[in-house]
Amino acid sequence: MIFSLLIAPPLLAALIAALVRPYRAFVGWIGAWLSLIPLSAALTIAAQVVNGQIPTWGFKLEYLNLEEVLRADSLSALLILCVTAVGTLALFLSPGLGRVVTNPHWGELAYGPNQLRRYHVFINLFIAAMLLAVSANNVGVMWITIEATTVFSAFIIPLKLNKASIEASWKYILICSVGIALAFVGTVLGYFDFVSLSGRAENALNWTVLLATAPALHPEVMRLAFVFLLVGFGTKAGIAPMHTWKPDAYGESPAPLTALMSSALFAVAMYALLRWKAVADAALGSGYTDSLFMALGLLSLTIAAFSIVLATDYKRMFAYSSIEHTGLMCLGFALGPLGTFAALLHLVNHTAAKSLMFFLVDNIEHKYRSPLIERTRGLLKTMPWTGALFAFGLMTLIGLPPGGIFITEFALFRAGFALNHPWLMGAALALLAVVFVSFINHLNKMLYGEPAPDNINMERPTERFSWRLALLFVNVAVLVTLGLTLPAPLVTLINQSVAILAKP
Amino acid sequence: MNDTLFSQLSTLGSSIILMFGIGLLWRKSLHAYAESFKWQSVALTIMFLIIGYFGDDHELYVVAVVLFILKVLVIPYYLNRMENRFGDQRELQPYVNVASSLILAGLLVLLAYAITRPLVLVSELSTRGGMPLAMGLIFVGLFVVITRKKAMMQIVGFLVMENGVALLAVLGTFGIPIIVELGVFLDVLMGFLVMQVFVYHIHTTFESIDVDQMNELKH
Repeated sequence: MIFSLLIAPPLLAALIAALVRPYRAFVGWIGAWLSLIPLSAALTIAAQVVNGQIPTWGFKLEYLNLEEVLRADSLSALLILCVTAVGTLALFLSPGLGRVVTNPHWGELAYGPNQLRRYHVFINLFIAAMLLAVSANNVGVMWITIEATTVFSAFIIPLKLNKASIEASWKYILICSVGIALAFVGTVLGYFDFVSLSGRAENALNWTVLLATAPALHPEVMRLAFVFLLVGFGTKAGIAPMHTWKPDAYGESPAPLTALMSSALFAVAMYALLRWKAVADAALGSGYTDSLFMALGLLSLTIAAFSIVLATDYKRMFAYSSIEHTGLMCLGFALGPLGTFAALLHLVNHTAAKSLMFFLVDNIEHKYRSPLIERTRGLLKTMPWTGALFAFGLMTLIGLPPGGIFITEFALFRAGFALNHPWLMGAALALLAVVFVSFINHLNKMLYGEPAPDNINMERPTERFSWRLALLFVNVAVLVTLGLTLPAPLVTLINQSVAILAKP
Repeated sequence: MNDTLFSQLSTLGSSIILMFGIGLLWRKSLHAYAESFKWQSVALTIMFLIIGYFGDDHELYVVAVVLFILKVLVIPYYLNRMENRFGDQRELQPYVNVASSLILAGLLVLLAYAITRPLVLVSELSTRGGMPLAMGLIFVGLFVVITRKKAMMQIVGFLVMENGVALLAVLGTFGIPIIVELGVFLDVLMGFLVMQVFVYHIHTTFESIDVDQMNELKH
């Protein structure tokens, strides 16, 4: 029941957007207000989970055994919360709500009614697919919905058709489809092993059933399956070396989609990987998956760090920052219960910080009409609010207090040193230092200096405070709160998730 | 007796399906690609029916019908439409030439044999002999995606890879649960439709469907 409140509203919003043509602003508003229903459903689920209940849903017809097809344990609840929160924010800050449509000064950055209609249909479907993916207990359904997110988002990456956006979305859909097909090979291999042990069973693809059988599965098959799953879902999560689509897609998508992809979609792919990691760990002991996670995590960090140094485009710079944080979280998930706790908390913080950054980046791009760092000068002068928030967000991302990422990175490194990985942690720290210095360097260039008058939208010289900016203070509040204190329900939620994922 | 026949049929069928995949490597025109894919899908449908019959699993008949409609009728129809729209495009200079691709394909199949060894050892199904071939087909499809320059050839490579996955699933497990199977088909169809929409976009924006024209995005 609670699941229908979660998934039906975005589907309804997509339907409304599809039926109303041409696009009208009220469609966007309906979608935005409807998104509050999944958000409250997510809070309800989280509350139930914290109290020890696990909501499930499923049915059984004659041939069709779908018992427990949807199931929200604490890990799911955490992810559902992240997805719905960013989803609500993205829908309220979507293009097509209000006067923006008619503002002639937005020039080539304004969207036409057809584009807006397409956008509002697919962004809602995209959110619905992500919510299904994280509440599915059946790993087959999880795979199907994650593949569906690729398709839905590919429709709206090139909202403006030009060479760059077409190229980005082509790379995105091809790389992700191929990657996700490999994840399906992994899923099939996992199921294969189950079948060869205990015969066919319709509910064998249920994660709970898989996990219960896992200790009996053949380790050599599970090893192979996990490699496929890691490559597959890793592609979607943007773990190096399968990250190549990420900077392109993030650079070319409309801002709310980028925010959703960088925070929610990434988390969903990571979630799928974690579910399988738990199964593989139960079959193999944790050493195997941990070493794979460490290797790829460190590789992601390395590639991201040096790409950030060389970045000339601030949207791509944040895409590389996503890869950096992906790498950090991979390291965390490989470091036992302590590291897993840190990584999950990091995931929550990263969701808040990254979505904040991509909405701000959108403001900046509209003002300066260019994604290049060197053309973006004097942010504090031209856009005091955005500039200040931008500085705050960026400093949070590189791990300065009082943002929550400071705490989680600290916890993560502590976990690493406690488990005797001094070299790994040392290398990671050095790479974080590289990221830190180059981010500060880029930030300095953007915040100060004289903006060249020709490349700024001079219509409104200084920025006025608006509700759109006020909404972003929610992210700031979350980040500061998580930096200063850990609310007890969240700690319970994460602790329960750690118990699911990591056996000490 | 029945068992030997079944295992021989499944190995033979998988080999034929793999051959259609490797066939892509020396064919050059989109027409040939589309035909290879279509006939491969026909062979795959027959494979599903064989396994359904010998494995006594009637769900597989349903899956086979859906597969036939999707991969033999619908997708080839769209491929033909693209062919009519763009003319019979030819892949003249793939990143790897024909001779080396064939050698590499052979190596990929060998690799598939090596990595699926544990599966074959674990399984007691009579179809296990075909599993390395299915894995080989997945690798060959991936290879086609990576080395072709024309967007449409990449799509066919992706579809061939999907056929490999479907073959692996049916050989290894006599079919994954039907709801998942149907969901996968739906995803393949949607993914294919989006990709073909993009081919039209690529054609109008780049005035060519060579993906090596795409070099706008760097750092």
